[in-house]
Amino acid sequence: MSKKYYILILVIILGVILRLYKIGEVPPSPDWDEVSLGYNAYSILQTGRDEYGEFLPIVLRSFDDYKPALYTYLIIPFIKILGLNVIAVRLPSVVFGVIAVITTYLLVNELFKRSNIALLTSFLVSISPWHIQFSRIAFESNVGLSLNLLVTLFFIKGLKNPKLLPISFILGALNLHMYQSNRVFTPLLLLVLSIIFKKEIWKNIKWYGISIFLAFILAIPLLFYILSNQNALLRAKGVSVFSDQTEFLKRNTNKLENDLKNNDYLGMVIDNRRFEYAKSIVSGYISHFNLNWLFISGDIARHHAPNMGLLYLIELPFIFIGIYGLLFGQYEKRTKLTVFAIFLLAPIPASITKDVPHAVRALNFLPTLQVFVALGIIQTFQFVSNIKYQPRFNRGQALNIKIKYLIFFMYISFFIFNILYYLNQYFVQYPIENSMDWQYGYKEAVSEVEKIEPMYEKIVVSNMPHLDQSYMFFLFYLKYPPNLYQTDAKNASGGFRENHIFGKFEFRPIEWNKEIRGRSVLYVGKSSDFLEDARNIKTIRFLNNETAIKIVEK
Amino acid sequence: MIVFGIILLAAVLRFTSLDNLPPSLTWDEAAWGYNAYSLGINLRDEFGRFLPLTYLESFGDFKPPLYAYLSILPIKLFGLSPFATRFASAFFGVLTVVIAYFLTKQLFKTWDHVSSQVSSQVALLSAGILAISPWHILLSRAAFEANVATFFIVLGVLLFLKATSRGVVSSTPPRWNGFDTSVLCLSILSFVLSMYTFNSARVVVPLLLFGLIIGKRKELLKMKKQFLISILFGLFIFSPLFLFLQTPQAKLRFAEVNIFSDIEVVERVNMQIENDNNAWWSKIIHNRRLAYGVEYLRHYFDNLSPNFLFIKGDGNPKFSIQDVGQLYLFEIPFFIAGAFLLFRKKEGDWWIIPYWMLISIIPAATARETPHALRIESALPTFQILTAYGIHHLVSTISKIQIKYLIFYLYTFFLIFNFLYFTHNYFSHYSKEFSHEWQYGYKDAISYVRQVEDQYDRIYFTESLGRPYIYFLFYTQYDPVKFGEEVSATREVLGFVHIENFDKYYFAKDLQELPKQGKILFIDTPNKVPDGFKIEKTFHLLNGERALIAYTL
Repeated sequence: MSKKYYILILVIILGVILRLYKIGEVPPSPDWDEVSLGYNAYSILQTGRDEYGEFLPIVLRSFDDYKPALYTYLIIPFIKILGLNVIAVRLPSVVFGVIAVITTYLLVNELFKRSNIALLTSFLVSISPWHIQFSRIAFESNVGLSLNLLVTLFFIKGLKNPKLLPISFILGALNLHMYQSNRVFTPLLLLVLSIIFKKEIWKNIKWYGISIFLAFILAIPLLFYILSNQNALLRAKGVSVFSDQTEFLKRNTNKLENDLKNNDYLGMVIDNRRFEYAKSIVSGYISHFNLNWLFISGDIARHHAPNMGLLYLIELPFIFIGIYGLLFGQYEKRTKLTVFAIFLLAPIPASITKDVPHAVRALNFLPTLQVFVALGIIQTFQFVSNIKYQPRFNRGQALNIKIKYLIFFMYISFFIFNILYYLNQYFVQYPIENSMDWQYGYKEAVSEVEKIEPMYEKIVVSNMPHLDQSYMFFLFYLKYPPNLYQTDAKNASGGFRENHIFGKFEFRPIEWNKEIRGRSVLYVGKSSDFLEDARNIKTIRFLNNETAIKIVEK
Repeated sequence: MIVFGIILLAAVLRFTSLDNLPPSLTWDEAAWGYNAYSLGINLRDEFGRFLPLTYLESFGDFKPPLYAYLSILPIKLFGLSPFATRFASAFFGVLTVVIAYFLTKQLFKTWDHVSSQVSSQVALLSAGILAISPWHILLSRAAFEANVATFFIVLGVLLFLKATSRGVVSSTPPRWNGFDTSVLCLSILSFVLSMYTFNSARVVVPLLLFGLIIGKRKELLKMKKQFLISILFGLFIFSPLFLFLQTPQAKLRFAEVNIFSDIEVVERVNMQIENDNNAWWSKIIHNRRLAYGVEYLRHYFDNLSPNFLFIKGDGNPKFSIQDVGQLYLFEIPFFIAGAFLLFRKKEGDWWIIPYWMLISIIPAATARETPHALRIESALPTFQILTAYGIHHLVSTISKIQIKYLIFYLYTFFLIFNFLYFTHNYFSHYSKEFSHEWQYGYKDAISYVRQVEDQYDRIYFTESLGRPYIYFLFYTQYDPVKFGEEVSATREVLGFVHIENFDKYYFAKDLQELPKQGKILFIDTPNKVPDGFKIEKTFHLLNGERALIAYTL
C-alpha cells in the first residue's frame, strides 16, 4: 500500500471522528423533522405503516411535507439495533457523510488523475463545516449529496466499464426517493454528464439504454404517486416563490394599473408579472454566490455554527485562485466542464424556493467548492515554492527559502486557528447559544411527565411556537406504541396548527383562563402560556438558562 | 461618431426632466442649492461664514464644500431651482462618461498595434455601459456630491496615467518637461479636489494614489523632478483640509456611523469566553479585535452581494429604484468573465481595475448601513470596464461558434429589454412610488404658506419630515443676509444644528408645545393633527397619500 492510502485512511478516520463525537448531544436535541423521521421508521418497523397508517409509504406525509421516504427506511436497521433514540436517527446520515468523504477522493482522482488533488479535496470535505453540519443530523439532503457523488463516480467509471453505468442510474433513481431537491438536481446532473461525455455514451449506447430503462422502472412508483395524489406537490408549492402571490406582486399590480391609466402599451409588456417571477428565480439563484452567506454568517441557525459561515474564511482566497486555475489550467476539458457544471447546477433547485440562499437545498455545491480550494492551495503552494528560482532574488537565496517557510508557517497557523475556532463554535458554543433553535427540552420534559403521569387523568401540551408539533416529540420520547397511535389519531392531519389527541395526551394551544382547575390535569407549555396561579411542578431550561418548557397544574 | 452618440445618450438620460425627477429635493439638495445661492450673493454660506474652504456647517454634518461652489454658476444662470441645484451633478456625470472612454483607452494601451483597436473597442463599451448604468444615472440626477467626486477621481487616474506613460513611449531620454509636470500636477489637483467634495474620497484617494505610485514607480523614477513638484503642490493644496481633519468636528460624523462602536460584539465574545469557562485559549480565539475584523468583512462583502449588484440595488430608494440592481442583469456573465480574463491576459495597466474597485469599498464598510451605493460610488467605472472587457473577449470567442448570430441577437434583445425595464420603471413609476423618500410635499406646503401668510401672525411647521427651514429658504429664495440676522438656532451635543425660527416661521417636532400666541397656521403630518382643529388644506404625495396638513385653531 502506498503512502497516499495511509493518508486517505487518516482522512477517513478524521472524518469519522468529527462526525461521531458527541453525536447525541451536538446538536443538543433532534429537531421536529428528525423525530418525525425516527418515529415513522419505528412505526414502519413495528406495524409496516407510517403514523398515518399508510402501508410502506414511498412518500412520507410527515407534517404534510409529503417528502421522499427513503431516509426513514435507512433508519430502521439502526432502530432495530440501538432502539428508538436520536443516535439511531442520525447514524444513517453519519455513514453517508463518511461515504461522501471517500467518494470525493475517488471521484476527484478519477477526474483529475492526480491523487494529491483528490486527497486534499477529501480532507477539506472531511473538515468542512458545511458537510459536518449536515452529516451529524438526520437531513435527507446529506444522503442525497452522497448519492449524487456516487452517481457521478459510477457514470464516469461507467464510460470505460459500461457495466457500471446502470449502477449510476439506479442510484440516481433512488435519489428521487431521497430528497426533494434532487428530483430536480439529479436528472439535470445525469443529463449534463450525458452531454459532456456524449462520445463515450454513443459507443455504449446499449448499456446507456438499459440504464435509463432501469432508472425509469425505479421512478415509476413516484411518477404514479405524483399523478394520482393531489397532495404530492403541496410542499413544493408551499415553498416556491409563486406561493404567496399577493404580497409578491403588490408593487407590480400598482404599476400595471398606472400603465393602463396612461395607455402605456410598452409599460404593460414590461410590467408583465411573468418577468417578476423570472427575476425572482434569477435572484434566488445568484443569492447563493453571496460571500457573506458562504463565509461569514450562513443562513438560519440550524444550518451553521454560530458566527461561522458554511466554509472556512481562510478558504476564501483559494476559491478564487482555484476557479481561475481550473478555468485556465492544464486540465482535461471535460474535467473542467464536469466540475463547473455541478457547481452551476447546485443552486438551481433552491432558486425556485422562497428561503434563499439555503444551505440544505444547495448542499450539492459540495464538493466542488472544496475542489476549487484544493486547486487553489496547490497552485499557491507551487507559486510560493518557486519564489526562490526567480533570478532577481538569486543574491539572497537563503533568505528566500526562509520567506517561503515563513509564508507556509503563517498560513498553516491561520488554517489551524480557523479550524480550532470552528470546533469551539460548533461543539461548545452552538449547543448553548442555539438550543432553542434545536427545540431543546422535550427529552427532559417527557421523562418528567412519564414519571408523574399516573397521577393525572389528562395531560395538555401546547403546540404553539416554539413548541410546534410537540405531539411528535412525545411520541418519539415515549416510544408510544405505533399501532395504538394509528387508531387513536386516525383523522389528524399533519398541518402546522393541527391538534392531536392520543392516550391521555392532548396537544393544542393552551388558553389559561379557560382551562379547568384541579389536580386531574397536567399542563405542559412555555412560560407565557401560564399565569401566576399556575402551580409549578418543573421548569426545563435551554442550555443558555432561559426557560424552555414549564410543567404546571392549575 | 459613436463616442458622440454615447455622450448624447448619457446627457439625455441625465438631463431629461431633471427638475421633477427625482420628484422633489432632499434636505441635502436644498442645502446645496441654498448655500450656493448664498455664496453667489455675498461669498458667504447660509450662516455667514466667508468663503468656507474646508467645510459647510449646514445641518451640523460639515459637508465638504466644493459642490456648493460648483453650483454657484448654474444657479446664477438658471435661478435657484431643483434643476440648477442638480445641474453640477448631472453635468459632471456626463463628463465622467467621456473621461471613462479616454481612461479605458489609456488603460489597455500597450505597445503593439492590435491592442490599440482592442483598447478603443473596450473603451467604447465601457463608456456606453456607464452611460446607461442605473447606478450612475440615479446618482447623476440628484445633487449628490459623491458623483462629482467620482468625476475628479476618474479624471485624476486618467491624467496620472497620461503623465507617467509619456516618458516611456517616447524614445528620447527623459528630461525636464513642463508638460509632464503640469499633467501630473493636474492629476494631483483633481485627486485633491475630490477630497474637498466627498468624505469617502478622503480615504479612497490616498489609497488609490499610493497604489498608482507603487505600480508606476519605474516611470516615476525617470521623472523624479516632476514627481517631486507635483507631490509638493498636492501637499500644499491639501494642507487646509488636513488641518480641518484634525478637529473634533471632522471626526464626529465618522464616530457616529461606524461599526466599531457596536457594543454587541463585545458582549457576544465575552459570553463565548464564559461558555469556555474563561479558558486562556478562548480569550485568544474570541478576541474582540478579531470579532470586529469579521464584522468589518461582513460589511465589506455586503457591497459585493449579488442581490445588491444585480437584483434590487441599494435598499435606500434614493440610490436605487428597487427593480434593478446597481448593475444590469445582462452584465453578470461578462462581469465575471471580464474579471477572470483581466487577470489572465494582463493587458496594459490592468491591475489598476481590481485595486481601485476593492479599495473603494474600504471606507463604506466601516459604516453600519451597508451596502451603500453612494459611499462606494468611487468604484465606478471599474465595474463597467470589467463588463466591457468581458464583452469584448467573449464576443470574439463566440464568433467562432456557428450559431453566433442567434446568440448575438438574443442577447442584444435581452440587453435592450434590461435597459427598457429600467428606464420605464424609472421614468414612469419611480416618482409616484417613492415621492415620500424625496420629502415630497414641502414645495406645495411652502407655496401655500406664501399665499396665505399675511393672514397669520405665526407659521408653525413640523420637523417630522426633517429640516423644514432649509426648504423655506430654498423655495422663498430668502435673502441670506436677512436670514443671518433673524435666525435663532441651537447647536446640539453631536454638533447638529437646530433652527428654531426665523421671520414668522417656527419649527418644532411637536407643534402643540409651542406657545399659542396670536393667529397661527399649523402645518403638520396627518397622524399628528389633533381633533377639533380646522383643516385648511391637505398636501398629497404623488401616490395619493397625505404628506402634510395645514390647519388652524
